[in-house]
Amino acid sequence: MRYETIPTTCSYCGCGCEVLLQVLDGELIGVLPSKASPINEGSLCIKGWNLHEFVVSERRLRKPMLRKGGSLVETSWEEALDEVAGRLAKIKSESGPDSIAALSSAKCTNEENYLMQRFVRAAIGTNNVDHCARL
Amino acid sequence: MTNSIAELEDAACIFIIGSNTTEAHPLVANRILRAKQKGAKLIVADPRKIHIAEFADIHLSHRLGSDVALINGIMHVILAEGWEAKDYIASRTEGFEALERVVRGYTPEKVSGITGVPAEQIRAVAEAYARSASSSIVYAMGITQHTTGVDNVKSLANLAMLCGRIGVECGGVNPLRGQNNVQGACDMGALPNVLPGYQKVTDEAARKKFEQAWGVALPSEVGLTVMKMMNGLHAGSVRALYVMGENPAMSDPNSHHVREALSRAELLVVQDITLTETTEYAHAVLPGVSFAEKDGTFTNTERRVQRVRKGIEPVGDSREDGWILCELSRRLGHAMELEPASELMDEIAGLTPSYGGMRYDRLEAFGLQWPCPDAEHPGTKYLHKDKFARGRGLFHAIEYQPPAEACDDEYPMQLTTGRSFVHFHTGTMTRRSPSLDEEQKDPFVQMHPEDAEAHGISPPGQVKVITRRGSISLEAKLSARIPKGMLFIPFHFAEAAANLLTIDALDPIAGIPEYKVCAARVERE
Amino acid sequence: MRELLKTRVAEMLREGRVDGVVGLIESHGEPLPYLFTADDTAALERISTGELQGRLAELIPGVVRYPLGKILTAVARKHPDKRFGVMCRACDERVVFGLFQNLQLDPDKVEILGLPCKEELARACSCPAPAPRSAIVDQPSREAWDRADLERIDAMALDERFAFWVEELGRCIKCYGCRNACPVCFCDVCTLQDDGLVKKGEIPAELPAFQLTRAWHMVGRCVDCGLCQEACPMDIPIRTIYRKVRSIVGELFDYFPGERDGGKSPLEQLGDGSFPIQ
Ligand code: SF4
Ligand code: SF4
Ligand code: SF4
Repeated sequence: MRYETIPTTCSYCGCGCEVLLQVLDGELIGVLPSKASPINEGSLCIKGWNLHEFVVSERRLRKPMLRKGGSLVETSWEEALDEVAGRLAKIKSESGPDSIAALSSAKCTNEENYLMQRFVRAAIGTNNVDHCARL
Repeated sequence: MTNSIAELEDAACIFIIGSNTTEAHPLVANRILRAKQKGAKLIVADPRKIHIAEFADIHLSHRLGSDVALINGIMHVILAEGWEAKDYIASRTEGFEALERVVRGYTPEKVSGITGVPAEQIRAVAEAYARSASSSIVYAMGITQHTTGVDNVKSLANLAMLCGRIGVECGGVNPLRGQNNVQGACDMGALPNVLPGYQKVTDEAARKKFEQAWGVALPSEVGLTVMKMMNGLHAGSVRALYVMGENPAMSDPNSHHVREALSRAELLVVQDITLTETTEYAHAVLPGVSFAEKDGTFTNTERRVQRVRKGIEPVGDSREDGWILCELSRRLGHAMELEPASELMDEIAGLTPSYGGMRYDRLEAFGLQWPCPDAEHPGTKYLHKDKFARGRGLFHAIEYQPPAEACDDEYPMQLTTGRSFVHFHTGTMTRRSPSLDEEQKDPFVQMHPEDAEAHGISPPGQVKVITRRGSISLEAKLSARIPKGMLFIPFHFAEAAANLLTIDALDPIAGIPEYKVCAARVERE
Repeated sequence: MRELLKTRVAEMLREGRVDGVVGLIESHGEPLPYLFTADDTAALERISTGELQGRLAELIPGVVRYPLGKILTAVARKHPDKRFGVMCRACDERVVFGLFQNLQLDPDKVEILGLPCKEELARACSCPAPAPRSAIVDQPSREAWDRADLERIDAMALDERFAFWVEELGRCIKCYGCRNACPVCFCDVCTLQDDGLVKKGEIPAELPAFQLTRAWHMVGRCVDCGLCQEACPMDIPIRTIYRKVRSIVGELFDYFPGERDGGKSPLEQLGDGSFPIQ
């Protein structure tokens, strides 16, 4: 039997409210606004209060998928990663790195955005990286 | 934001333009309403009488896309009355004469003709903004999502500098970021022209630094923006697109064009937490994790770098996004070590001057605001305190330009898009949240009752909204909060995707599409 | 107080009187809700009473409170056989008694660790009864109910009162935070989300349907802990509405939810007695 609350940051809008993840026996059962946070001072909006719901949604993807014969089919990580890397390498060698582009994410963390742009610039070799900041 | 959220509470005057604050940024709106209760003057400029406009001392209902004219008109009055901050202009800015010359032409009467705002109101706003003890400007996508988006932003900066409102407490020009980590994605160099910390890819010294850190030569040519990537896919010059945590098929304007582009990709890889409109075109889908399943940081709209902490194990066989990127990078011959997030931040801090003092142990208890150049620096509450980043603040003389698409007989109405308080962005998350879905299930178009009557629409009625790009069917919601001749559609709903209608005319500098105005017509279904 | 609390919690867990204690732990620089258990005694070193330290104490007035009673209910529902301790200020204690009265918690399985509040805190909270009955230390009895908010509004003429509430409630952004934070809101299906009663998808929340619906539901339930108002992002004095409801119920039925000697619940007093709550 274990219940704890883990402070983290709301992943919806740019206000940056601090929320507490309520975790009961490893399961995310809800969120609470941080009472001590000088940003949201114990409040959240309707989106923040329901932040846990999409996390545990039935519709979350649980396995990698590759398109085979027209439809997406579940597969192993090994196969998915080899396939993606192989095809990227092939396109890069045929048409140069600038024939590849990537969209990073305003929903992902700083660290992930950093890794993404490094991946694009250093591993692929192009500056074709952007995200939907303008939206 | 140049300033901090909490500072808004003590501003003497707040000027909101292009931000539906209570719906889209509720936890900033509360500070603004608190300021109002403490006696602040509140000015809201928005064509619609949005919720926060109910509390405004002055509500300006200016025509869509007439922001530059409106702001020039306000500046005209300030100059005519001699309310500008003369010392500040002399000591901290340049380019004032050019601004003065342009603004001279924008008399309140002329501006009234362009914006539809009474001249008297323009004068009142000028007085409130210029003469209050402190004045803060708050804006959001209603300012940026125009072909004149950059002009709009510069105009607001002009206004703020004219009154000496930048670099002071409770002042500033404060964009509210739409998504939780737009700020961070930009800071981290997820942009085609800059490396982390806005260091230009064309700057050899900057490149060198990163080349040394990563042990590989880096490209020096500016890359493609989202819209150019889509055009590249159309033309065949871009063959592969890798998408992490975005849904361009739904979020980008003129979606037909985007979907066509995506379908032409030889390889489309989507890394996301659910299937989306974009994965319909994907060749590979890699399940990443949500914010609750990983460690890291987000940077909020007031530049505050805040911890994201792992609460639960990844759902199913999904994997942390960083792991996926490292695995792929290794396979492509560039080994990126998968370090704990805290060590990655150390690497970032070493390469990004404004993040120089960010370390996880310092981010405990509510984070730090950049710039934070070193381990002792306490972070920065407001920017440009003694001088601007470039030295002197530069005024930009800007002429008003109408939106890209004018109304005509065939498309007589103006369509704008935006958010609802319930949903977020393309709905990938909020519409999968049962409580939020229950609060607002269906797409709708807001229109004025008289327009509805003219079209024989009586609710609850389905209508068809049509533009040159496409048409969608949805329910009409009648409201006198929207001016006659205008339609508003929230863009969260795939089954009636507003972006099938919007125009992909771009701001020439920032490449931002004009989501906020295009010509449309409405028909009864 | 913290030391004493720590000793008492350690004792309860060691002796096996309870399987877990719901309280607050100092973690990541702030007090956070936590379930202390016998197998992690190290956590006890960081037990907190909710008082803030250092720079946070300057930023945030008062103490940090969380709906501990609500959290306890969630844990106890999942683990019906376990026994629990719960850290309670007087307000939390009223919550727990309220939950006993409404059959959400089993009194035989819950042990309360009461923390008395300082005078100034009681005044800041305008607390109706700041002394917990199950306090872990001796305490002076305190009368603290500051009814200034109720009196101010009661003194207004009807139309003035109406205008006041329209203005205040007009700020509501329908976050449902008041309901979510309320430790005695425990229904599985919430009337506030009933299409027939309250219009959906608009802010402010339908006026006054949303607030009145919630007010009805606080009849015989609100223990006046003030957590709802603390959660309200728009600083709406909603607690005052429920206090009014609470005071009416008190006058009519001599019933004060959450107080042990609070008499019979109005539901038990109404009707012919053929519908007993059990
Ligand atoms: S809780 Fe609401 S206001 Fe706060 S960050 Fe999340 S979406 Fe924004
Ligand atoms: S409401 Fe009363 S018991 Fe609760 S914290 Fe305030 S003073 Fe203490
Ligand atoms: S907490 Fe406040 S804003 Fe939120 S629903 Fe309740 S009254 Fe409205």
